[in-house]
Amino acid sequence: MFKKTAIVILTLFTAVNLCSLFAQSSRDNINIVGSSTVYPFATVVAEQFGKTTSFKTPKIESTGSGGGFKLFCAGVGVEHPDITNASRAIKSSEIETCAKNGVKEIVEVKIGYDGIVLANSKKTSPMRLSAKDVFTALAKEVPDASGKLVPNPNKTWRDVNPALPNIKIEVLGPPPTSGTRDAFVELAMESGARKYQILSDLRSKDEKAFTAVAHTIREDGAYIEAGENDNLIVQKLDANANALGIFGFSFLDQNTDKIQGSFVDGVQPTFDAIASGKYPVSRPLFFYVKKAHVNVIPGMKEYLKEFSSEKAWGAEGYLSEKGLIPMPDQERKTFADNVKNLKTISR
Amino acid sequence: MNRPGDAPINVEKNPARSIEIVNRGLARRYAAEKRFRFYGAAAVGISLLFLSLLFISIIGKGYTAFQQTFIELEVYFDPDMLDETDLNTANYPGLVRQSLQKMFPDVTGRDDRRDLYALVSTGAAFKLRRLALDSPEIIGQTRSVWVPADDDVDMLVKGHYDRNRSEDERRINDRQLAWIDSLEENGKIKKRFNTAFFTSGDSREPELAGIRGAAVGSFYTLAITLLLSFPIGVAAAVYLEEFAPKNRWTDLIEVNINNLAAVPSIVFGLLGLAVFINFFGFPRSVPLVGGLVLTLMTLPTIIIAGRASLKSVPPSIREAALGIGASKMQMVYHHVLPLAMPGILTGTIIGMAQALGETAPLLMIGMVAFIVDIPGGFTDPSTVLPVQIFLWADSPERAFTERTSAAIMVLLAFLIFMNAAAVMLRKKFERRW
Amino acid sequence: MAPSTLFLSILVLAVAAYVIGRKRSYSVVGGARKLRELHSRPTYYGMLTALGCGIPALLILGIWQAFEETVITRLITAGLPENIRTLPESRLNLIINDVKNLVSGNIVSKEVDPAMQAAADHYTRLQSISHASMAVVCLVLGIMAIAIIRKIITPKLRARNAVETVTKIILVACSSIAIFTTLGIVLSVLFEAIRFFKAVAVTEFLFGLQWSPQMAIRADQVGSSGAFGAVPVFAGTLMISAIAMTVAVPVGLMSAIYLSEYATSKVRAAAKPLMEILAGIPTVVYGFFAALTVAPVIRDSGGLMGLDVSSESALAAGVVMGIMIIPFVSSLSDDVINAVPQVLRDGAYGLGATRSETIRNVVIPAALPGIVGSILLAVSRAIGETMIVVMAAGLAANLTANPLQTVTTVTVQIVTLLVGDQEFDSPKTLAAFALGLVLFVATLFLNIIALHVVRKYREQYE
Repeated sequence: MFKKTAIVILTLFTAVNLCSLFAQSSRDNINIVGSSTVYPFATVVAEQFGKTTSFKTPKIESTGSGGGFKLFCAGVGVEHPDITNASRAIKSSEIETCAKNGVKEIVEVKIGYDGIVLANSKKTSPMRLSAKDVFTALAKEVPDASGKLVPNPNKTWRDVNPALPNIKIEVLGPPPTSGTRDAFVELAMESGARKYQILSDLRSKDEKAFTAVAHTIREDGAYIEAGENDNLIVQKLDANANALGIFGFSFLDQNTDKIQGSFVDGVQPTFDAIASGKYPVSRPLFFYVKKAHVNVIPGMKEYLKEFSSEKAWGAEGYLSEKGLIPMPDQERKTFADNVKNLKTISR
Repeated sequence: MNRPGDAPINVEKNPARSIEIVNRGLARRYAAEKRFRFYGAAAVGISLLFLSLLFISIIGKGYTAFQQTFIELEVYFDPDMLDETDLNTANYPGLVRQSLQKMFPDVTGRDDRRDLYALVSTGAAFKLRRLALDSPEIIGQTRSVWVPADDDVDMLVKGHYDRNRSEDERRINDRQLAWIDSLEENGKIKKRFNTAFFTSGDSREPELAGIRGAAVGSFYTLAITLLLSFPIGVAAAVYLEEFAPKNRWTDLIEVNINNLAAVPSIVFGLLGLAVFINFFGFPRSVPLVGGLVLTLMTLPTIIIAGRASLKSVPPSIREAALGIGASKMQMVYHHVLPLAMPGILTGTIIGMAQALGETAPLLMIGMVAFIVDIPGGFTDPSTVLPVQIFLWADSPERAFTERTSAAIMVLLAFLIFMNAAAVMLRKKFERRW
Repeated sequence: MAPSTLFLSILVLAVAAYVIGRKRSYSVVGGARKLRELHSRPTYYGMLTALGCGIPALLILGIWQAFEETVITRLITAGLPENIRTLPESRLNLIINDVKNLVSGNIVSKEVDPAMQAAADHYTRLQSISHASMAVVCLVLGIMAIAIIRKIITPKLRARNAVETVTKIILVACSSIAIFTTLGIVLSVLFEAIRFFKAVAVTEFLFGLQWSPQMAIRADQVGSSGAFGAVPVFAGTLMISAIAMTVAVPVGLMSAIYLSEYATSKVRAAAKPLMEILAGIPTVVYGFFAALTVAPVIRDSGGLMGLDVSSESALAAGVVMGIMIIPFVSSLSDDVINAVPQVLRDGAYGLGATRSETIRNVVIPAALPGIVGSILLAVSRAIGETMIVVMAAGLAANLTANPLQTVTTVTVQIVTLLVGDQEFDSPKTLAAFALGLVLFVATLFLNIIALHVVRKYREQYE
């Protein structure tokens, strides 16, 4: 009997907690949503901000860029997030959705670059690839000797380029839903495809057909879609010396004892090489701010100031220690000014 | 045991006797019996083997996280740097750098200094800030303070980094290595029990990251899940099994509940987003909504287990109760339900275990998030243990590997504690007739 | 009075009501000796009073709480200066948030201006008035209910029937939650799924043999095409679940039989909870175990036998998933096997059956519905699992019957599509909803079949 009563009482207590919810919908922390690639950087700033000011630490959700924009564009008001992180620029269709829901003023802030690296285990020698090799190894269709497009016949790296070792092509990389994959395809594969005369001609004739070829990755098992857990890719590379992995620079940076970056067009992915633009594969990271919230959510202005300060995103700021590649000085200044003046995106 | 009768004395004369036939097959049947029993024991053995394997790998990877490397600093709380009117935002990192500089006065170059400052965690400044805020009289004095070392130093001291590798393959360079060695010689570097792991919330610095926020969040979330799913699940099982008329409609409900158990958990997240957050207007990322979503997810498990065990209560019990004049409700609540309790509790244990380890549905309702503050109630933003594990497992910093395993140990402790209560209850109710 | 205090007071009042009602039932018949003249046991009179007192009061409390906020906010808004009041609603709501932050003593976004302070004071005032009146209404209602019910308690009053009716209503409400959940799930995926089917034909989705959502993420890319044929994804789900079940069912069922029929009570008491821990280990752990321990073992041993094994194989994911769901089969089956009456076993032994024969021919058939239920639950869990598959089997959808190849499952695709970086309204994301819907329908059919199979083979004893 006692047990039953206890259960009943506890249940009812929860029920009332449920009711009392309606009374506490005020919010005094910043809500941030968005990309899981920006998450490790935004959280560092948020933590720094929360621990050195009297404001609460912002809440940062990792929802993916698309989900982030969906939430961000849902409207203005406390129940909607104030900032969304993104590993790609906002689309015009998303700006439209935002505007339709009353989010008319959006401030775009680029925070830096993320290097995308190809890496393999330290147990073997580093791969020296060209963009053309990358394309030839990973594209779904490649031109054969006669210039006709055929399903990718290459099984080993030697098939791709006689200078490369005779091992099976096995590349662990992100799935098609990932912004990392998107950037990789655009930067590495596309420039590789252009090296083929025939594809280059195709590009000037029919750009659509060209991108269709350049951007499609093979699906016969040589390219393994490995989810977005980059730590797992690192460990798999460590266990399988023949495999190559594609992931963000910060994971290479943390695991230099286990894996090494492959040369792409003669440049190895190091911090300096990516920052100077010598290493060809890197992409910008962003966050977007709802201007309407800046003056009404406590701490917004201060958070933006913290993020755009030199000690955060500067050349030697704490974000660079976490693996974010800083923007060039001039660009940084432009965006810092944009943040200060809350310059909104104009369509 | 109940073996067939003993072999009779005179068997040759009458080969047609059935005992003959029985005896002929006896050896084979006993062998089958033994085999069967062995298979059973082997099955249990296999499961336990896997369990211990998993445990060993978790504990082996994670036990080092319960210790943390600390460095002793002689800090002079310089009144010039600490403005008493604004202790909150004073330059504490500067204080840390000053004391490091004092320890190694010969370090001058810009890069060298950067490397030196990288030895201690950014948490050092937070610690000094707390000291100064707690007792402002400290200003102007010199104190020796143990501050957490940076995660790379921690990894090196714990032996996770190989110091024999060439310099560009380590995150600690040769200069830093020399400093660490000299600190070690002077006894200024020490491993201590990692209290921060149990007392603080999430952090992006492994040496400051703690599990408490997630544990508290898990507690609130599961409290709601248990408080709602158990009574509702039992009530639904009782109604469907004992009171509902047996017709197509109840068939539909049965199929429906079985089907809900097969719905991927992330779809429950979508449901929670649509119903609780968008329709009822509950805030995102709160244990209340998490608990509600997990309740919906666990209910089918409890209902199915509950119905199965209600079904297995022999009809004689019901008839006896009804026969002495009990009402149907009394029969169920006084006799059938207590007898079915062990099975219901098993369902609850398994359902709650699943709820405790689930991340996917929480993604949609905003609980996969970076939350530093420790939640104080059902409506504070919070995260839960499996989410914390998931986020740490995905962090680039190497030191998070051991912390991930340690967090898993905390989750398992949580699970074992939760199960122990239910197992005890289950034993109390269990009987055979 | 704060709502939580009020809530506790109502509970106390309900307990008091119970005591009063019970006492009253004694006194109306004139003492404990004449209790048989009462229609129901005195407890029921107590419960009836408690329910009559508690339920309406709590209902009012809940409703009041739900509307208090809106009403007060309305009143506050009316009192705000003209220039703020005329802002669009969403902006207004941000300002109200500031006022509320001021009330609860949180940090506000900027310096407090007098209008805001006035609004905050107004808010506090209104809230205290509202709370006070709510307390009065609820408590008066409760006390009145006690008085009325106390009056109508007579020996003839059928208190038990009334209480049981209320209980039954609660039971029905609880079981209908399942229906509402289903409805909610269908509704929350249906609309997006329909939008998906506007972009991709239903037939192509259902019968297409190629799944490769390689569509452009950004608008300025023309992009490669996507193929949305769900067959490989469903085939992968089937295969991985089948592998998992071939591990979990024999091991789980044999464990259950051993624990309930052979093991001493001590072994059983120890082993059963231990095995249940397997179900609670976070799936990330299983994922790492599958990807870094099991998969390489399978690849290497496959290589020794001259087989071409992918590093990411369905087998590794399936086997590890099977381990995870062992307790679903073992623990639940153990309970139902344990509940089979001993009489049945004794009967079989009496006829000369050995223990294993008894188990196979008598106990298992008797426990079959429960066992099937537990297996169904295990299958459900296998279908719903994501982390292990993502980590150990990858994401590439191959249409293959070879368990040594990479496959993917529906749930994995749903999760990756939903958390991707692509635009939320692109067919790629919407495909997740379509997959969810089709999976829902598919499992529904499987369950209907299972129900009929169980009906057919079930043996009912006693």
